[in-house]
Amino acid sequence: MELTNHFPALILAILLGISFLSPILYRWARKASAPALIASLFLALVMAVYLLVQVLQVGEFTYYMGGWPPPWGIEFKVNLLRVYMLLIILAVSLWIMVYALKDLEHELKTEVMGWYYTLYALVVGSMAGMALTNDLFNLFVLMEICAISACAIISIKEDRACLEASFKYLILSAMGTGCFLLGVAMLYMVTGHMNYDLVNAALPEAVELYPNNMFAAAALFIVAFGTKAALFPLHVWLPDAHASAPSPSSAMLSGLVIKIYAFALFIMFYQLFPRSLLESIPLNEIVLWLSSMGIMFGSIFAMVQVDLKKMLAYSSIGQIGYVFLGIGLDDIIAMTGGFYHLLVHAIMKSMLFMCAGIIIYTTGIRQIKQLGGIGQVLPITMIAFTIGSASMIGIPGTGGLISKWYLALGALEIGRPIFVVIILASSLLNAVYYMPIIVNAFMQQEQFQHQVKPVPRKMLIPLIVGMAAIIFFGVFSRPAIVLLDEALALFF
Amino acid sequence: MEMLIKIAHNYYYMVAILLFIIGMHTMLTHSNLIKKVIAMNIMDTSVFLMFVAIGYTYGGAAPIITAPANEVLYVNPLPGSLMLTGIVVAVSITAYALSLVVKIYRYYGTVDYDEICLIRSQE
Repeated sequence: MELTNHFPALILAILLGISFLSPILYRWARKASAPALIASLFLALVMAVYLLVQVLQVGEFTYYMGGWPPPWGIEFKVNLLRVYMLLIILAVSLWIMVYALKDLEHELKTEVMGWYYTLYALVVGSMAGMALTNDLFNLFVLMEICAISACAIISIKEDRACLEASFKYLILSAMGTGCFLLGVAMLYMVTGHMNYDLVNAALPEAVELYPNNMFAAAALFIVAFGTKAALFPLHVWLPDAHASAPSPSSAMLSGLVIKIYAFALFIMFYQLFPRSLLESIPLNEIVLWLSSMGIMFGSIFAMVQVDLKKMLAYSSIGQIGYVFLGIGLDDIIAMTGGFYHLLVHAIMKSMLFMCAGIIIYTTGIRQIKQLGGIGQVLPITMIAFTIGSASMIGIPGTGGLISKWYLALGALEIGRPIFVVIILASSLLNAVYYMPIIVNAFMQQEQFQHQVKPVPRKMLIPLIVGMAAIIFFGVFSRPAIVLLDEALALFF
Repeated sequence: MEMLIKIAHNYYYMVAILLFIIGMHTMLTHSNLIKKVIAMNIMDTSVFLMFVAIGYTYGGAAPIITAPANEVLYVNPLPGSLMLTGIVVAVSITAYALSLVVKIYRYYGTVDYDEICLIRSQE
């Protein structure tokens, strides 16, 4: 009974534990509450790195909650892809939290800060659980925890727009989880299991006997995860929710929360459902065309926005489309691109929201057209914005190019050049709405009109880390791609 | 005809699906926020009904072992216990949604979504 054996459960336990401790710490030892949260996120990250080392040595392994093997107990599965997700979630959330320390001071009332840490730890913990869990009902519970706390980190700001946006988000994500649970009922009805592997083993026979159940379950899962991950026609909640939230919450929601549901859909398609089902009904085609539409329309909607954060939120709808495109193309190279995009977009979108947060913090401006000449007064912030935008467009040297490159290669591999055209067109559209901001910020002759507060150093350091990460993943993409290749090979 | 007999045999599934559709439709189309919350509950409850119906066995007894090795037909206890968790989750979501409605009412003086949109557009 070594402690290291329990790391998959301990990651969750630490994060859920700190979520309970945060308000108490904030009440009695205010100075210690934020460092405690950062320390526990860091500890969880260290454990995740240890899991990665372990997986690289011994391959896939499982962890039984409470020592009960399935079908009785809940099973956590640790393989390369899940650890990859876990590392992204923990590293990016640690990074956002460092930024949030300063930003939250002016966006929230001081008495709710302790509660914010609670909700933050709950969001991260439930996502880490979703990345690891191998049980349908456990996934449902974690989805609900994530949904409530993700809504609450929006509504905690308590202004009118936030409350309304989070109510809309709550209703639509309740619809999503309702659909998911009904889908689980359909599967449970014919297989009698909740564990992914046992369901997967029982399904080929069940598909023969009760095909209608399976079709219903597949449709319900697409609606459920599509709503949660803002797949195109189900994206309506996203722009308001992500734009009105406090900037660290926006970074969290756009960077990580929508991704984990895309990952969950991937697990449903490629681990839970048997291959024969994917071949008999065109699930992949549905996801492909919806994501392509999302890529195009997300960018088109983003072009007409006047509010900076709203523009970034619409851009997320387009970018999550790339991840779904990777899932839908059903080719290992394209999927590598999709999952690489998941990593790169988590970094770049979080960084862009941080830039927006700094602009709002120092000047109070949210409108895009008032940003002319801002590059002279906030140089580092706007350079970070430029690098983030360049990565969104896919300029060489940034991470965004690599993922689009692999997606395009994968589309050519299976003989669907139309998706290459879509990727190229959307890159062009991205340029159309990101470039004017950069050009205006740096090239405008006249002086910047508004008052500018100095930028705190605590906010700039995360930005510099983010810039370095984007360029690192653009130049040294090899290790992550090799890792993803190996990870995805398990699913084919 | 065969289909109808099947449906008649499994009417509880049909009721669950019907409730689910009623809940979902009301939740998405009604403009009253309280009704949306109620509809959310109807939708969740329909799924619980579905699960509990899956676990039922005709003529099954309650799943409590009274004597060793007695061969009685039992009702599957697993869906029931899972749905207890589901109910807890639904209650917490309802509480949170209602607290949001209270706050929205304080800001806008109405719980009707159309009126809220009207107020927002006039600002």
